[in-house]
Amino acid sequence: MSLLRVENLRVRFPTDQGEVEVVKGLSIDLGRERLGIVGESGSGKSMTGRALMGLIGPPGRVTADRLEFDGIDLRGLSESGFRKLRGARMSMVMQDPKFSLNPVIRIGEQIGEALQFHQRLPARARRRAVMEVLEAVRINDPERVYRLYPHEVSGGMGQRVMIAMMVVLQPDLMIADEPTSALDVSVRATVLEILDDLVRRRGMGLILISHDLDMVARWCDRILVMYAGKVVEECAAGDLHAATHPYTRGLLASVPQLNETRTRLPVLDRDAIGAGT
Amino acid sequence: MIGIEDLTVSFNGTPVVHGVSFQVGRGESFALVGESGSGKSTILKAIAGQAHEWTGSIRVGGDAMGRRRDAAFVRRVQMVFQDPYGSLHPRRTVDDTLSEPLAVHRIAGRDGKVLAMLDAVGLSRRFRFRLPHQLSGGQRQRVAIARALMLEPGVLLLDEPTSALDVSVQAEILNLLADLRAERGLTYLLVTHDLPIVSFLCDRLGVLRLGRLEEISEVAELRTGQLYSAYGRELVARSAGG
Repeated sequence: MSLLRVENLRVRFPTDQGEVEVVKGLSIDLGRERLGIVGESGSGKSMTGRALMGLIGPPGRVTADRLEFDGIDLRGLSESGFRKLRGARMSMVMQDPKFSLNPVIRIGEQIGEALQFHQRLPARARRRAVMEVLEAVRINDPERVYRLYPHEVSGGMGQRVMIAMMVVLQPDLMIADEPTSALDVSVRATVLEILDDLVRRRGMGLILISHDLDMVARWCDRILVMYAGKVVEECAAGDLHAATHPYTRGLLASVPQLNETRTRLPVLDRDAIGAGT
Repeated sequence: MIGIEDLTVSFNGTPVVHGVSFQVGRGESFALVGESGSGKSTILKAIAGQAHEWTGSIRVGGDAMGRRRDAAFVRRVQMVFQDPYGSLHPRRTVDDTLSEPLAVHRIAGRDGKVLAMLDAVGLSRRFRFRLPHQLSGGQRQRVAIARALMLEPGVLLLDEPTSALDVSVQAEILNLLADLRAERGLTYLLVTHDLPIVSFLCDRLGVLRLGRLEEISEVAELRTGQLYSAYGRELVARSAGG
């Protein structure tokens, strides 16, 4: 049974030069699996994530032939309708914990806020739930971290706090938009492992949005490659290196390798790709 | 070209780089790799004269560096930063940015030099009077590299020069840096956390951990995964697995 069904999703913004379409007819059918959306800046990958979460406000416009989350039609859903879903049933991990956590609220209270909004638990039960979720994201001393402010934790810990906040209500769908690109290489794998573990253990659907082809290939089951607002390639993660679209091939070739011996890296011929799609 | 002996750098009395020594030959490309907090950028800052609390010796082209950097130094050593959005003045045109070093150093023939530099870094001449916000990230980084090269320095200090860019744009900038080095015989000191970039652009690398140099190796060793320090191997393993 699919968790998310999207057909012909379009996101448009008005500009001085007329309306610009940043997502041009995207379709997704997502089960409880891990889907990667890859693309470069301006490909529309983040806009897709935000549109699914109902986070594109005016003057932006979102249209689709079908936009269903677990049977609920998201088209024309009111803001209060989205608020009931967001956090509880679907949630989003953003790129940088520095900008996504409230700097003046203690971490434990911030995580508890979602519980308070959606579940109205007694204070003690809420605290216990927060402790449990902090442990689930491998924070060793949850008692201490509970009382800290966001500036008192490292980037990697901050991102784990973000993930804790997003999974505390056990949502069915998690959208992670570049969850590791603000983090040090050494902690990236840990954060992705935690995310992966939660997705598997709790049977969530995951959409991992990133510019990093190798990372997405490693952590997802299926991959969509976006270019200029369109999906140009869709394949199983294991088949990425057999990708056929010139854009995907170009991207793969332009990444330097550890055993690099080329003296020049191939560069994308954007005009040729533009003509090909 | 660059000689670092027993360099210790502190911030407010707390040492963050401990007794680091390495040499970079003329025309060589040397990388300092490590995680955040390893002190790799701090070493670059000490060489550039932006970190003042240091002991040991820093030599550039055989001359020992003091606390201050003079005009002759900046003509020999220039720096390119990570984020082209932050390192260019938002209200100065490309032409202003490229002309200013020439004006400061009273060098004549600005017009021709600016145009020649735009050609050298692969920026169309029509961008000459644009402002940074009218350029893409890759174009901006080309401007930052052009600015660094205006005084024809022999040494470029590169601080994560492509980590803010998309991979396809990164490839263009890495090619440009490789070409410029070959054409002009430049010496590079590159700071990065991205090991494949080192394989592409550098001859040797130093691995830093918590302000100490763990090893110095040839890039051939990196390519074949044969770094000798345990930490160096750990970085290689993570690079392949993260």
